Amino acid sequence: MQSLQNPSELIAFLDDHKYVADEELVTALFLLLKLNKPLLLEGPPGVGKTEIALVLAQWLDTPLIRLQCYEGLDVNAAVYEWNYQKQLLGIRLQEGSGLSLHEKEHHIFSDEYLLKRPLLQAITQPFQSPVLLIDELDRSDEEFEAFLLELLSAFQISIPEIGTIKAIYKPYVVLTSNRTRELSDALKRRCLYHWVDYPDLQKEMNIVQKRLPDIEKELLQQVVHAVQTFRKRKLVKIPGISETIDWAQALMTLGFRSLDSEALERTLGSILKSVEDIKQIKEEGVEALV
Amino acid sequence: MKQQAFATQSITESIVAFAQFVRSHGLNVGIQETQDALLAAETGLLPNRDQMRCALKALFCNTPEERLVFEKLFVLFWDTNPTDLDGRKNQTKIEGRVEQKANPSLVMMGFGETEANVEEAKNVTGANATERLKQTDLSKLSEMELEFLETIAAKLFKEMALRLRRRLKNSPNKGVIHLRSTIRRNLSKGGEPIELMRRSQKPSKQRLIVLLDISGSMDKYSFLLLRFVCTLRDYFRQLEAFVFSTHLVRVSKALKLTRIDDALALISEHAQHWSSGTKIGECLEQFSVKYGKQLLNGSPTIIILSDGLDTGAPGLVQEQLMYMRKRSKRIIWLNPLKGMQGYAPEARGMKEAMPHLDTFSSAHSLQSLLELEKILANA
Repeated sequence: MQSLQNPSELIAFLDDHKYVADEELVTALFLLLKLNKPLLLEGPPGVGKTEIALVLAQWLDTPLIRLQCYEGLDVNAAVYEWNYQKQLLGIRLQEGSGLSLHEKEHHIFSDEYLLKRPLLQAITQPFQSPVLLIDELDRSDEEFEAFLLELLSAFQISIPEIGTIKAIYKPYVVLTSNRTRELSDALKRRCLYHWVDYPDLQKEMNIVQKRLPDIEKELLQQVVHAVQTFRKRKLVKIPGISETIDWAQALMTLGFRSLDSEALERTLGSILKSVEDIKQIKEEGVEALV
Repeated sequence: MKQQAFATQSITESIVAFAQFVRSHGLNVGIQETQDALLAAETGLLPNRDQMRCALKALFCNTPEERLVFEKLFVLFWDTNPTDLDGRKNQTKIEGRVEQKANPSLVMMGFGETEANVEEAKNVTGANATERLKQTDLSKLSEMELEFLETIAAKLFKEMALRLRRRLKNSPNKGVIHLRSTIRRNLSKGGEPIELMRRSQKPSKQRLIVLLDISGSMDKYSFLLLRFVCTLRDYFRQLEAFVFSTHLVRVSKALKLTRIDDALALISEHAQHWSSGTKIGECLEQFSVKYGKQLLNGSPTIIILSDGLDTGAPGLVQEQLMYMRKRSKRIIWLNPLKGMQGYAPEARGMKEAMPHLDTFSSAHSLQSLLELEKILANA
């Protein structure tokens, strides 16, 4: 990592790890590493936002710590929690031990009883900077977002019973969002921003080729072309790249060498995930796609 | 402020000037971002123009829309040649700003051209002026009364918002036992859990989406309705507002301004279609296509304020409302015409909409708006 001089070096590496990236994304990653600012990735589902963090961790050869956000995610589930049951037992065991109250308290609020959740794990790594992936941040509540502000700017967490824990190795933070709601300006200002969009025909073909090296050229072209057509339609759920790969794989597994009406009939469920969409596309038939 | 790169003396100055330049065009770029940009240049990105552009883009932009604007600004700032500038100095505006209107509220309400029917307004009987104003149809008010009404409205709406918030306080004796605070509390009692602490579900605030008709036929009502919407923002977790006539315009950002008058001024600046025809179906479709994925989740409450006088394609209103209903908690339609005596939803747009609404209510006077409190409290 120290040797990294130029974003272009990253492209080659990502390429080796089956990730096709453009210059904008690579530059953003480069800045993430050099300036140590969190990177916020926004984009529709299934375009490889999460994957970036995985590949980045591989490249840095460092652990990946992942926090999946959901509505109602609170500090207890994200940062730390005391192991209450164990603490209760601890108190019982200490009865009659002759320790002073202070010592007792000190004991049950020690590391032994602390359950580290992803965010605390991320700033207490002893040997190197981990990659911290905060996935689908738009699903969490505004309160949690506000809490993240402190963490992302100072990389420290305060635990009342222990004190403030400051990161020795600052994690590389990647945040992803599907933009189901707008994130707060305060959070965005602390991050680098990159919008990941659906790829064009050529790029998507590259990606599928990378992931499925055995795919035949004709099938590859037909599948990617069909998916690109789907994206232009008014569908309830627009397929992402991961669905394209799934679909191509499904077709290959079933032994289809090109996209015909039977192939479409049998595998449409792996690319379109809504009854209305499947009905609409089936009615239009395979001719409209190839 | 320097508008182009050639006017600066050093690369540092250029970058700082560029940050100021994009800020003047609405991008949220502060000192921190500028500093980061300089640091980025130092890491060795500078010699490569494309990489530097990508780096600045990642640092300065916060939304896909801003990224589009950025591309234009970048070219404008770094590529403008002094010789190109002759004769059009300082004309580097990307978005032409609309002239500030003198009094946004009055322009919005259609005063200036049309005179209110003062006679009819005076015919309303009532105990005192305030009560009378509360019940008068908004379209029948004079300009003078209107200012007075606004003051009352501001006060009453504020009270309403406060009541709505208070209603959410939860009782301390319900809910599951909260182990964490129980242990904490009982430490002083030797660890025996004598006092149990409980945690009850915090009532989650709802999200509200407001679609406001600002076509000619709604002129008189739009403004007060908009003020009403502004009041609601404290109560709801997320408030998204749109105005429409023939097109749909998102005005949620403007509503975030602290002073309501600023918000209203900004909104009137955004909406260029004040007082034209109405295409309700088309606008609802625009809404579902463009914002549906983003906003119609987690069952929001939708309020549509419109008189239902649709001039668009038949059937579309119905189709769109069906779609929206599936993805929302409830749809409330407020129609100012309902306050008129003998009104029945006969207009085609309204007739189509009726079966798909949860609540159909009038919104012709201040009183009728205040009655909405009951509906919203359960929302």
